Amino acid sequence: MSGVYTIWKKEMRVYAVNPTAYAFLAVFLFLSGLFFYLGVTLTGEASLRVLSSNLAIAELFVLPMLTMRHFAEERRQGTLEMLLTSPISPFALVLGKWLASVTLCVLMFLGTAVLPAILAYYGEPDWGVVATTYLGLFLAACAFSAAGLFSSSLLDDQLAAGLVGVLLLLPFWLVGRAEALVGDDLAAKLQPFGVLTHLESFGRGVLDTADIYYFLAMSFAFLFLTTRSLESRRWR
Amino acid sequence: MIEVSGLTKAYGPRVALDDVSFTVQKGEIVGFLGPNGAGKTTTMRILTGYIPATAGVAKVAGFDVFDEPYAVRERVGYLPETPPLYPELSVGDYLQFCAELRGVPRARRAGRIGETMERVGLRGWEGRLLGSLSKGYRQRVGFAQAILHDPPVLILDEPTSGLDPAQVAGIRELVLSLAGSHTVILSTHILSEVEALCPRALVIHRGRLVAQGTLDELRALAPGGAWTYVEVRGIEGPQLGRLPGVRVVEPLGEVQGWAAWRVRAEGDPREMLAARAQAGEFSLRALERRAPSLEEAFIGVVGREGAAA
Repeated sequence: MSGVYTIWKKEMRVYAVNPTAYAFLAVFLFLSGLFFYLGVTLTGEASLRVLSSNLAIAELFVLPMLTMRHFAEERRQGTLEMLLTSPISPFALVLGKWLASVTLCVLMFLGTAVLPAILAYYGEPDWGVVATTYLGLFLAACAFSAAGLFSSSLLDDQLAAGLVGVLLLLPFWLVGRAEALVGDDLAAKLQPFGVLTHLESFGRGVLDTADIYYFLAMSFAFLFLTTRSLESRRWR
Repeated sequence: MIEVSGLTKAYGPRVALDDVSFTVQKGEIVGFLGPNGAGKTTTMRILTGYIPATAGVAKVAGFDVFDEPYAVRERVGYLPETPPLYPELSVGDYLQFCAELRGVPRARRAGRIGETMERVGLRGWEGRLLGSLSKGYRQRVGFAQAILHDPPVLILDEPTSGLDPAQVAGIRELVLSLAGSHTVILSTHILSEVEALCPRALVIHRGRLVAQGTLDELRALAPGGAWTYVEVRGIEGPQLGRLPGVRVVEPLGEVQGWAAWRVRAEGDPREMLAARAQAGEFSLRALERRAPSLEEAFIGVVGREGAAA
């Protein structure tokens, strides 16, 4: 596992000079400001309630774009061959890259810290709810980055990897809202698989281990699939 | 140091490598020669553990590449056909990353990086971004990456392709400086490269090992054998061709008023030619036996269409 930190450090260095990463960061911050403004002016509440569910959707589109580069670009540059013939394991490689994108998300959330600060200036937000909201967004970011890494491991083209990443995640968004399509009964059964179902309780200040497990399970499932996809050339 | 036996690789129905066996001794520099698409890169990727073989066994430094990939990876330095570089990183950061990746102990990292940069002629280039380097310098960094952890075995895939003559000379010097202390396999489709660097070569064609041996042994495979070079006056081509034992006569133009020919005959025709000249049949100024070129041997072994590819 010694290679995880090495990979993480390299990825952070590459992110630091990557213009695409900054562009998507800017998009994310713009969307969070917009949703915040709309949420506060529409509800008149000093809360992040509206922000949290909308921002999760923004994450769903932005994170695959932040992770699309990882394996697609390494493959194009020929550096993947170097990484996979070095003494670090594919899982350590995947983990290092995932931790780097999760770190980037934390930095991204730090950029939105101005929003609760505004709430505190004009009103009295419930800090517990703010904290669980952020925890929910963070866990979603972990899961979505893992999915983005997976699609990047499948495709040679960055942009295609980003778009396929979004497509992979769309069902997780829509499955909770499919009443019109599949009828109420089935929709209720599908409800537990939806991302928004699990984010809702975080947004209300409720910490349920089931919700935490949901996102952790999704993260590890995609990290596992990514590792397998990298190893697959060993039996193809 | 490297033992390969019965190595076969199939991509679906296409067989890229067919029952290849060879060994490379410690400290040897071996050329891996073949037309493009012959299976050189496939073999190298199997040796580095990047892809598995369909059948057969490959051992590097005594470790099986499939069963003990990590033991092999620690002992191998690999330069793929395009040097694996991150354009966003500086030379120094990149080599630091590679040293960590390769498990060079922290205390020795700075020293190893310094020595390696010195050795490949990159001193003072730490701060340059890899994306801004010329092809020759990119290749040097790729080379640095391969020898950074001082591996006993080096696998170099076309290390001089696309470089200008001065850069080619630089890389060749580096490879020669590794002779004796390192075991090197280098692939190329350039014959002069093999002649400059490798005492021994393996020739691969369409996935099969079609010849191997020292360069002299390979030259001997040229169909027809050696040539005899003569410069004469007073005798024409047809007459030369009728001399006893002579099979082929090719004109090589005129040298200072003397007609130059190359002659191929049964056995060595030099004594016969000298005797005829002495008897006054013609005047003889030069008489020299020339080994067939590696190129002739190569074409003989892989065929014209293979050599042109």
